[in-house]
Amino acid sequence: MPPIVTAERLSKTFRVKVRDPGLKGALAALVRPRYRDVHAVRDVTFRIEPGEIVAFLGPNGAGKTTTLKMLTGLLYPTTGRVEVAGVVPWTGGRDFKRRIALVLGNRQQLVWDLPPEETFLLNRAIYDIAEAAYGERLAELVDLLELRDVLEKPVRQLSLGERMKCELAAALLHRPPLLFLDEPTLGLDVTAQEAIRGFLTQYRERHGATVLLTSHYMQDVTALASRVLIINRGHLLYDGALDALVARIARIKRIELVLGPGDGVTAETLAAFGTVKSFHFPNAVLEVRRDEAAATSARLLAALPVADLSIEDPPIEDVIRQAFAQGLGADR
Amino acid sequence: MRIAELQWEVERGGKPGGTTLAMTFRIPQSAIRILVALWRLNVAEELQYRANFVASLLGTTFWIGTALLTLAVFFRHTTRLGDWDYWEVVVLLGVFNTLTGVIEAVLRPGIGRLAGEVKSGGLDLVLAKPVDAQGFVSFRRLDVWRLTDVVLGLTLAGYALHRLGRVPSVVQLAAFGLALAAAVVVVYALWVALMSLAFWFVSVENLSVLFDAVYEGARYPVSAYPGALRFVFVYLIPIAWTTTIPASALTGRLEPGFALVAAAVAGVAFALTRLLWRTALKRYSGASG
Repeated sequence: MPPIVTAERLSKTFRVKVRDPGLKGALAALVRPRYRDVHAVRDVTFRIEPGEIVAFLGPNGAGKTTTLKMLTGLLYPTTGRVEVAGVVPWTGGRDFKRRIALVLGNRQQLVWDLPPEETFLLNRAIYDIAEAAYGERLAELVDLLELRDVLEKPVRQLSLGERMKCELAAALLHRPPLLFLDEPTLGLDVTAQEAIRGFLTQYRERHGATVLLTSHYMQDVTALASRVLIINRGHLLYDGALDALVARIARIKRIELVLGPGDGVTAETLAAFGTVKSFHFPNAVLEVRRDEAAATSARLLAALPVADLSIEDPPIEDVIRQAFAQGLGADR
Repeated sequence: MRIAELQWEVERGGKPGGTTLAMTFRIPQSAIRILVALWRLNVAEELQYRANFVASLLGTTFWIGTALLTLAVFFRHTTRLGDWDYWEVVVLLGVFNTLTGVIEAVLRPGIGRLAGEVKSGGLDLVLAKPVDAQGFVSFRRLDVWRLTDVVLGLTLAGYALHRLGRVPSVVQLAAFGLALAAAVVVVYALWVALMSLAFWFVSVENLSVLFDAVYEGARYPVSAYPGALRFVFVYLIPIAWTTTIPASALTGRLEPGFALVAAAVAGVAFALTRLLWRTALKRYSGASG
């Protein structure tokens, strides 16, 4: 089977106006505008097979969304070639758009003052979905996303998590084989994030859809994607299995401690358990080897007056910084 | 089926076996289906706010009252405005109010939001849908209560016509209908042209205020303005076609045939907006430069 997404040496350069600060700068920019090239995406090449869940990872402004927009035909690349679902996105027209779903975590298509079902009906008209198919798909989405109690409330009364679930339902009614999700869990609480992840996994298993998502939450990726593309400053740093990435880079865990009352705990005391990243009594952050995180936590609890303890993955920004330091881009 | 293609075979009359002129009209059935769904949704939304109806009715009544008062002040000093007498100008005011209704019901809440969406990126969701983006953005809203302006405007025009003591012929009425339809298209074209600026100058806001400022000029017959301004309103910012021409067609100032010219102007204006929109979208997606 040919890849469903092919991107070859994809680059996007934006020309932006620059101006010096202040009134003088503003006047100068008015008379003689100066431009600077911003390379949002540089020379990115990858392929995605049908049925894969692939995550684009990277800090804000890394080029994730720009890449996504080029894949969906919203932006033209400056150079390079894209083929999605067998066509060049921006020439694919309506047939192409029927084959994709685009969900943007920070935008909504739901009509604010009406129950979400009204938006679903609109999409039914837009995608020309037959009555029977619509009923069947809606029932499935309502079931998978647990939307029963939500359908009849106006969107403005829904929680952020419920709204995102409805956004997903609205975007999937035409059952596209290819899903582009830009930060689908942005700003959601942990329960809602998990619900969305669970849904995406189930949906893919049922319908074999290909999913491309961007996120800067590590958990999204660990739960969903078998493969990650790490992008930073427009460059593709890593393309490969998640396990390999975690084993290679995120070899550490963070233990966040809140110490209880009592003196005597110093940075030196903590250093015996792992690398002290920060220590401002009563809060401390330690980094320990991944495989030792549980054992070290137990020792900490036994030895120190601990009020609270949690084990976290390092923030993705740290992982990427490490990827830079270790030069992972070279051996992919 | 997305687009119903209707093949209209037009036989050249009187020529047996002659050439058949096949014209293909693409009637976007999908467009009608989507419009119905959109407007159904809007009406459902608006019905939640029945107070809007009262507010809209009161607003329009006061607006018309003030406009008539202003006119009355003018006509204390003169008997004619640009060679139009009082009730003729009131007919024009009725037409103006009718168009205001169309603007407030459809254009401002629809394409009027374009600038903000270009800035925020919300337009992306529209562009990712299998719809004609210009059509969708333009006609996605129907603030149904504001259509009271259309009813009140036409009533005002009818009343003024009655005071003038004129009963329009069927031909005149048809000419008025055509000129009014052309006026709606021209107003629409002006909005698209103005809103498309957002694609070039992302930071422009309140573009609709600019429209309002210019459109105030359409409250009076174009003949009331000095020559240079008249030229601008007829040829450059064609607001003369939106009120002066339909009102003239109704009062019999213009030959009914002139409505065809108005329709042609509307056709050109519409074609230009289509061109402008395409250019603007290309710019948006970075296809040009």
